Amino acid sequence: MECEIDERWKLVDRIAEETVTYGDGKTTLKDAIAELTVKPLTGLPIALAVLYGFWSFFSAFAGFFTDGFFVRLFDNHWLPWLQGVFPGKGSWYYFILVGDPAAGNSFEAFGMLTSGLFVAIGIVLPAITAFYLYLIILEDSGYMPRLAVLIDTLLHKIGLHGFAIVPMILSLGCNVPGVAATRTLQTKKQRFMMITLLAIFIPCGAQLGVIFSLIPEFAGIILLYLLIGFIFFGFILHKVIPGKSPEILIDIPPYRTPSLENVSKKLWVRTKGFFTTAIPFVLLGVGLVNVLYLGGVIDWLAEALGPLLTTWFGVPKETVGPLVAGFLRKDLAVAQLSAIEMTKYQLISSVVLVNLYFPCIATFIMMMKEGSERGVRGVLEILGGSLLVLATVLFIWGGLLHLIWIMMGVA
Amino acid sequence: MDENMKDKIGGLYFGVFGIVVFLVGILEIGLGVLNKTVHFGPLIFSGYFMLWRGAILFFAGIFYLLSVKKFSDVHQKAKAMVASIMIWIIAGTQIFSIILDSIIGDGSRWFNTWEGFLSSYAPPYIPSIILLPFTLVVAYYVLSNKDTDEKNEMIE
Repeated sequence: MECEIDERWKLVDRIAEETVTYGDGKTTLKDAIAELTVKPLTGLPIALAVLYGFWSFFSAFAGFFTDGFFVRLFDNHWLPWLQGVFPGKGSWYYFILVGDPAAGNSFEAFGMLTSGLFVAIGIVLPAITAFYLYLIILEDSGYMPRLAVLIDTLLHKIGLHGFAIVPMILSLGCNVPGVAATRTLQTKKQRFMMITLLAIFIPCGAQLGVIFSLIPEFAGIILLYLLIGFIFFGFILHKVIPGKSPEILIDIPPYRTPSLENVSKKLWVRTKGFFTTAIPFVLLGVGLVNVLYLGGVIDWLAEALGPLLTTWFGVPKETVGPLVAGFLRKDLAVAQLSAIEMTKYQLISSVVLVNLYFPCIATFIMMMKEGSERGVRGVLEILGGSLLVLATVLFIWGGLLHLIWIMMGVA
Repeated sequence: MDENMKDKIGGLYFGVFGIVVFLVGILEIGLGVLNKTVHFGPLIFSGYFMLWRGAILFFAGIFYLLSVKKFSDVHQKAKAMVASIMIWIIAGTQIFSIILDSIIGDGSRWFNTWEGFLSSYAPPYIPSIILLPFTLVVAYYVLSNKDTDEKNEMIE
């Protein structure tokens, strides 16, 4: 049985009247803290601290494993060994699998077994583990539903409700579970908006890991620009798309200490699930881009799209390669961008562009799957609608950034 | 000690401490905006997230100051507790980062030397680490409140 929100509240009142007995009770310290975390005036500064904890933990944990161990393992041991023993230097298969024979580090080699493995294991794995660990602690402690209530007013302005924070935050780990989590939203309009917005504006954990590892000084600007875009285009979509945006109804559990067993089980399941999908796509991505390079397709695309990239978006035409790779893995695309010679403003624009231009293939498939519940029409609605929004956003938001640089006199 | 007196001392303590935290927050925000690094004895104001840290300390200071009036009330104690948690988050993640950095060796070795490991823990520290021990006073008030809390939870 489906009821409208007002009918639900009436039903809740009726059940409460018949079943709840009221008596005198005193507020405990836990209750008082719980109250502070949902009130906007006190809850927002607390959320600021919780988010700080997330970024700080994320950078420390991912940096420790990536810079402390994996960079050394891959650059000092794996790469020289592979370059030494792999046969056929100069051949096409050497180029695809090992990459540049003169490369001094795994990042610049750009072979499937060098850059491909390094990005997947050395960068993405620590980033994803750190992200999920912190998220699970927030979920199991009972903070997440409170964050949903807190952010409800803001998200209502763009036609979503507080629980949209769940797919948003999950997408910061990986867009695939983020798209799946949009099922908690009640209307077709809300689901379409959320899927589209997160596919365009929310960078995944792997991408964040690469951004923080390669260009940490620009991470803040890039994320702020994407966040403003999320709110701005969310507001426009809310006005343009017909449909309802009902009120939120959330059950808020009390604060609890997360159990070690639950946290480790959830962490294992999520990390394993992500990792088994990520590795094949990263390796495939590197392989495909190398094949396209060998076939001259990337050069041809760079020439064809060069004028658009340089004049409208203000980025070098060589950005085409990473954009192609970005369809398979966006983290890979960001990593590739760092090897192209450009100004810091062009680098910021390129990273924003990679984020905006197309969801990665795994997210793309997930979007199709979500739409398929309503048959072919559903798939066409989700994909067609999302791609239309995406193309519009790409040209407006990507071009606007170039315009900002021109006005600042740095482009 | 008499409960009233205990709460009066608590109010006074968090009032003074709140002013300090608030001022340190403003200082970090100012230095963060100007993008300056300042080294002062065992203290250092620097890093990517200084502005963010400053904003958190600024609000934590306000929470402490708001908790001062009628400190015996559980809602007031909760404000002091939340302010302390905010400082624990900054200091905790910073200490976590120091511990991880102390393990890694330089370019030639996987793990740090014993001397390198110990020297990683030497000052300077960010302000939140210096403030950390002073926030622990809140634990005394929370623990002394615990019995009443447990009774109330049982009633509910």
